[in-house]
Amino acid sequence: MKKRITGRFTVILFVIGFMTATQYNTVNTDDSRDSRDTWEIRQQLSREKQLHSELLSEISLLDETLGKYSDEATQDPEAVLKETVEDLRISAGLSQMSGPGIELEISPSLEAIALGTEITEIPPDLLIRLVNEINRFDGIELAIAGERVINTTAIRDINGYTTVNTEPISTPPFVITITATSMEEARKLSSYLTASAIHDDFYIDDLTITISEPQEELTLPAFDEEINIDHLQAEEGE
Amino acid sequence: MWISILGLLLGISLGLLTDIQIPPEYASYLSIAVLASLDTLFGGIRAHLQQVYDDKVFVSGFFFNIVLAAGLAFLGVHLGVDLYLAAIFAFGVRLFQNIAVIRRILLAKWAEKKKLGEAN
Repeated sequence: MKKRITGRFTVILFVIGFMTATQYNTVNTDDSRDSRDTWEIRQQLSREKQLHSELLSEISLLDETLGKYSDEATQDPEAVLKETVEDLRISAGLSQMSGPGIELEISPSLEAIALGTEITEIPPDLLIRLVNEINRFDGIELAIAGERVINTTAIRDINGYTTVNTEPISTPPFVITITATSMEEARKLSSYLTASAIHDDFYIDDLTITISEPQEELTLPAFDEEINIDHLQAEEGE
Repeated sequence: MWISILGLLLGISLGLLTDIQIPPEYASYLSIAVLASLDTLFGGIRAHLQQVYDDKVFVSGFFFNIVLAAGLAFLGVHLGVDLYLAAIFAFGVRLFQNIAVIRRILLAKWAEKKKLGEAN
């Protein structure tokens, strides 16, 4: 009898011990384990360093502007202010812009023409994908079928039409104009896009991209509508 | 008695070594199950000391209490009422009561033994 009781207690205690240990394991899990290897950490470091240097150059640029303000404040404050406004308009995409770049022509694929497939609009998703692919490069400005793409540009479907800045774009063929910071960058972008997998995505929709040779001078139109900044608020300065 | 403690240690070490984890959302069920089993265990020890121990009551109580507590917690989650608190409260109170009874019995036994020793 006594033996049996001990046996029962042993089994029950074993189960209790096991449950307690499992509970302990569950509660004391350290789930944020860094599993990156040295190479990934190095890459992260180099990204951060790049960001650092970008921020530093921005700071020095702003310092320069500040210096200009204090130097010329007594002489010609208006000219400096105008210059700043012009700089800001350029970076916001509100003024016309020209520079070296490339042109992409989106057109129906040869197979689609040969088979007589109906030419449809380019789907907004595909266009967004292309724009994201292009935006991997720094300092890129682009216009889709004459519509300048700025930070707040929406590419979407409105009543069945693919629109950029709420303006419907024509059915293919149409041209996307891209300007880069230098001729070399334009050449890089051209070869990058030539080798990109985005061609396959376009081909599924019976479209092809023709990439022009880099050109010395391309002009982008200005963004001609009002920028909607209802939700932007000025931050309290120090 | 020592074999029972060996069982406990074996269970703990097996649990820790196998490193079994359950999803965090079920952790509350397991905690309540642990509490229920502890309650049954101390109830069993008390019954044993009071000479009213019954094998069937002990084993069935162990599993039934665990299932009831987990079921109550489950129901509570789905009804939006913290029913597991009721289970924790009930088991907690009983745990303390049982331990108090065990302590008294052991003290009484110890005092009796001492008296017998003095008498001899």
